[in-house]
Amino acid sequence: MKVDDLIICRCEEVTEGEIKEAIRLGLTTMSEVKWLTRAGMGLCQGKTCGRLVMSILVRETNQPPDEVKPPTFRPPTRVMALGALANGEKETE
Amino acid sequence: MRIDDHPILGKAERGRSITLTVDGSPVEAFEGEPIAVALMASGHRVFRYTTKQKGPRGVFCALGRCTDCIMIVDGQANVRTCVTPARDGMVIEKQFGRGPREEKG
Repeated sequence: MKVDDLIICRCEEVTEGEIKEAIRLGLTTMSEVKWLTRAGMGLCQGKTCGRLVMSILVRETNQPPDEVKPPTFRPPTRVMALGALANGEKETE
Repeated sequence: MRIDDHPILGKAERGRSITLTVDGSPVEAFEGEPIAVALMASGHRVFRYTTKQKGPRGVFCALGRCTDCIMIVDGQANVRTCVTPARDGMVIEKQFGRGPREEKG
């Protein structure tokens, strides 16, 4: 299996090759890569792939790690049903 | 396989024996343990198939973060089985993409 075929974002099934292609098109931030490839837009909201996408960005764009713009984090931080938010119900887990 | 006596966590405390229905077949479980535990202990490894590549998925992180172990529980899709306690009579189905298997084809 080629490195480019490796799945980086498990939720949205985005491969390393797709992320590299997005960077080749000129994207330089986590949010831009997310908008184009959907990496980090799935059910887990980038909890699994965030660091991997960041490391690919650092490697491919030669940016220092602390200068790569992080994605926007918004609540809720855990998976929950919209109904629970709307009705103020306790999260069932 | 279940761990009855863990070197750090100690002896397992288990709820009463219950029965889940997994894709139409009965699966023995202990009340309150994560659904994924009962599935793994009974030999289930494939919990769902992915949306794009239709690849099999099961337990990955096992602590509620990665959402790889999601299944349809009592008709509700995208339920993380590794952090959802088992209750008697729960109906659990494999998830195909974002919901149940499509009837057509």
